[in-house]
Amino acid sequence: MTNMSANPETVTENTSALKNKLQALHSWAAVDDSTLNDGQKLAVKYFMGAVILFIFQILFGLLAAAQFIAPNFLYEILDFSVNRMVHINAMILWMLYGFIGCTYWLLEDESGTEIAGLKFGVLGFWVLSAAITVVVLVYLLVQTGAGNDTTLWLINEGREYIEAPRWADIGIVIVMLIFFYNVVMTFSKGKWSGIAGVLTLDLVALAGLYLAGMFYMTNITHEQFWWWWVIHLWVEATWEVLVGVIMAWSLMTILGVSRKIVTTWLYIEVALMFGSGILGLGHHYFWIGTPEYWLTIGGFFSALEPIPLVAMVVHAVYDSGERGFKNMNHPAMAWLIAHAFGNFFGAGVWGFMHTLPQINLYTHGTQWSASHGHLAFFGAYATINIAFFYIAIQHWRGNVWMGADSPNSWRWKWALALLNIGVLGMTIALLIAGYEQSFIERAIGGSTWGGYFAAQTHPSFMTAMHWRMLFGWVTATGLGLLVWDLLTIGKGETRKAEVITHSE
Amino acid sequence: MPINDQLLIKIMIEPVAMKDFFITFFSSALIIMAGASYALLFAWSKVKPKLSIKLSAYLSYLILLAAVYQLTLAANLDGSWRIISYLMVIGYFFAPIAIWHLCKQTHDEPDLTTTLEKNNE
Repeated sequence: MTNMSANPETVTENTSALKNKLQALHSWAAVDDSTLNDGQKLAVKYFMGAVILFIFQILFGLLAAAQFIAPNFLYEILDFSVNRMVHINAMILWMLYGFIGCTYWLLEDESGTEIAGLKFGVLGFWVLSAAITVVVLVYLLVQTGAGNDTTLWLINEGREYIEAPRWADIGIVIVMLIFFYNVVMTFSKGKWSGIAGVLTLDLVALAGLYLAGMFYMTNITHEQFWWWWVIHLWVEATWEVLVGVIMAWSLMTILGVSRKIVTTWLYIEVALMFGSGILGLGHHYFWIGTPEYWLTIGGFFSALEPIPLVAMVVHAVYDSGERGFKNMNHPAMAWLIAHAFGNFFGAGVWGFMHTLPQINLYTHGTQWSASHGHLAFFGAYATINIAFFYIAIQHWRGNVWMGADSPNSWRWKWALALLNIGVLGMTIALLIAGYEQSFIERAIGGSTWGGYFAAQTHPSFMTAMHWRMLFGWVTATGLGLLVWDLLTIGKGETRKAEVITHSE
Repeated sequence: MPINDQLLIKIMIEPVAMKDFFITFFSSALIIMAGASYALLFAWSKVKPKLSIKLSAYLSYLILLAAVYQLTLAANLDGSWRIISYLMVIGYFFAPIAIWHLCKQTHDEPDLTTTLEKNNE
């Protein structure tokens, strides 16, 4: 109780010491808070949280990958199940932090007014961050033994990819509602736009769909039915639309594309995305005990899902022809291009390769899924968040020139190359492992335990896992370089970036 | 209503044969690759009007047709499913053309339009 009764002078001294340290950090990083509006200051917090979670994702991914090669590594200290869970959940959360940050970043510019309910937004950030810290510590230190009603509320709900305990689930929804409130009230106070409308409707779906993963059903088919509502509809509907909004705003900001053009395409892409993505959900229902018509629905609508990606390709070619890739932020532009390719290959090519039920029967839940997941999440979501980090850091450093000829530009170029090569290498390695697993475990072994172990110990599977580990290290090196670059890019640069004026 | 053979669309339940594993993965991937190449080259041929680019776009579409045909065989898409697959791939021929027209309509500000096609008009 001594600390609780610390005298006010000590508290004031500690507070000012912390402020001085923060100021020193700001000076070292050459960032200027006065260039940011309140929404952007809040966005920066989310971006920092995203980068920290990105680092956690890679670290725990490396641990999990190592345990494929050496199963006894850290056994009963930090088990594979926990490492994999932290790896995946950190990924989901850093994407969300990035998306929320991007939204807060563009909020005041897009609405033309100050952010509404800022204090709730800041509170939401700290509550979410504190909750995540507690949940991860519980995963790492406490999670043992069988599950029951108590563990469901306090430790783990047992739902893959959304393992947060019930108390944290409720917290996440509250934070999402605060976020929704900030967005809607700010646009209501300022001005609405096409982008604002799409964003608002998408956030309703984003918060609402999460509720589908919060109730418990004893029938495994029912349980899986609703669980996919969160997993599939978040990723292949609401996140894709959110990315469309972020992409639209980014194109206006760094390429100067007309608002009318991006808004028109946003509407078309949203229509195509929801038109194909919602019933494309059926491809997850093939093998969970749902009625057979899901084979038809899932197969047909999954075949339509790549069409929005084609629309983006044609649009990108037209815009590049119009603008000749003239832009004011080369690293951000490079990552946006990586996004276009990554989304197409990861979601489109790798997705359709094993979507139809005739082949999905053999590939479902094998390393094939992991291969698709790695490239799709990186290509569709990580890349656009990283592009936005560069947009933010440029502005935070006083809108300095960030071009291919800038000093130390090798850092962002190598970070871009290593991250993309690393993820692509892991994807190919997992594809080989998945192919072998589909063949030996599923087709020959008939999905038996014998088939499972024969596949897991096969030399081609093990070789693929070694390659995955190697490319995991390449990815980690790229991430290290990316963080270094974000901390330093544009420092000491005196040239100002060209100001892009928006066409209406 | 019971699902039976009388229905127009039969349920996809015939798994691929083991000998067709690779061709199924490969033809599925090729559908997306060839489809995107067709769209990309078509758009490029409009930005930079050259016969070789236009012919490459149509070559991509032919590859797409071949890939769809191969997938229907390997994935046992028989009867009405084969008809639907062919209708989809024929419809896809027109998709980039329609998207292109939408692009032109949305880029109607004269000062923004600098494509060679526009300059050549």
